[in-house]
Amino acid sequence: MEDVIRSRPTLLFFIVLALLFLVMSRSSQTRYVGETRTMFERTVMTIFSPVPKTVNWLGRSTSDMYHGYLDMRRAVNENMELRHKVAELTAKNLKLSQSESDVRRIRTLLGYSEQVDMPTTLATAIMLDTSGRFKSIVIDRGSDAGIEVNDAVVNANGLIGRVVLTTKDMAKVQLVTDGNCAVGSLVDRTRRQGVVRGDGGGGAQMYDIPSLADVVPGDTVMTAGIDGIYPKGIPVGTVVKADKGADLFKSVVVKPAVDFGSIEEVIVIHTRKIPQQVVRYAP
Amino acid sequence: MRWLRFIVGLLIALTLHSLLDSFFPNALAFFNPYVILVVYYSMGGNVFGAIVAGVAAGLVQDAFSVAMFGLHAFSLTVCAYTIAYINARLVLRGTLAFGACLAGAVIVNEFVIYILVNILVKQKIEMFEQALFVKTIFTLLFGMLVYQLLTLFLREEPIEATRRPIGGW
Repeated sequence: MEDVIRSRPTLLFFIVLALLFLVMSRSSQTRYVGETRTMFERTVMTIFSPVPKTVNWLGRSTSDMYHGYLDMRRAVNENMELRHKVAELTAKNLKLSQSESDVRRIRTLLGYSEQVDMPTTLATAIMLDTSGRFKSIVIDRGSDAGIEVNDAVVNANGLIGRVVLTTKDMAKVQLVTDGNCAVGSLVDRTRRQGVVRGDGGGGAQMYDIPSLADVVPGDTVMTAGIDGIYPKGIPVGTVVKADKGADLFKSVVVKPAVDFGSIEEVIVIHTRKIPQQVVRYAP
Repeated sequence: MRWLRFIVGLLIALTLHSLLDSFFPNALAFFNPYVILVVYYSMGGNVFGAIVAGVAAGLVQDAFSVAMFGLHAFSLTVCAYTIAYINARLVLRGTLAFGACLAGAVIVNEFVIYILVNILVKQKIEMFEQALFVKTIFTLLFGMLVYQLLTLFLREEPIEATRRPIGGW
């Protein structure tokens, strides 16, 4: 039978075509009336179905891998961007909180300077030397800003000292804790006057307070405005100790109102100077 | 060995079919890998083998397409038989002959489908001429490339044996 078929391929051809035509006719009648595929069709599909399934699986896996990779890249980039943003925002936040505290401080200072009825200049401390024998700071304004020797320097807390040297754009300030500094002062509660001098360490002492004067720890000491340098009413410090001295005067220890370790902005008060001839006049 | 090659070729054609269906759903309107396989196989000149190859390739194509079952089997069998019949008498060899057979097969295949669809489901195929032209060009280009690769890697005789000696045969 096989030999007959092989020897007559044309006959086989027509038989095959006829069979296929029959299959087609049946398929064309059933396909569009809702019937599912024929058994023969299903068999062919079943035999070859692993191929499209594998292709589909491979395609899906490749696509998943590719999209996974893209997602990962995107996540990495996003992560890096977010890190940059966090760093930027942290820096900005630091800057803002710094500015906020600056503004708060400067606002307090400005409020204070408005209370003083003399011309003032705002300056910033750029060098601080409170550890040596001579207690001083250097500020970033000098004679160009109208600062002169013996101008008083204060901040919102109280008296800092006086200008002892000026250049065009800088000035040196002697602190009230310096051993060579003397401030005409008074005890706010009793109006008893005395002189506050730096002890060369971190504090000051008030001299010329009689033994019988009413001065107790906790009293506030203000400038008296009698020395021609410091205006009246600037807080100098607080009495922390008031003992009976060796002679007729009390030994009064004053804690300065200003923390000299944390000076930033200062106000220079251009005090009205007493003319030299008035100072030197001796009747 | 030849049958094994045919089966591998059929699996590759089906893979291509599935791939194109997955990624470029309309690609099979421009290109038919089964025709290339059938033409390549039928050029051997074995009419019986060509008929079997045409039926097998056509049935596989039918099973995974929405056309009437047997439509592509019918048209591919016609192509396979025709090419094998011609080759059994003229012994066509080489890339150009393959290209000519392939172009002819694509055209015959499309015409047979056109006629059968008209007869059996009384449907008119839209833009038949344009589709035929595009399909012929793309199938021809891809088929020639495949033929060159197959000739290069699967030939059974060494290349030297096919070269004309100096001074002629």
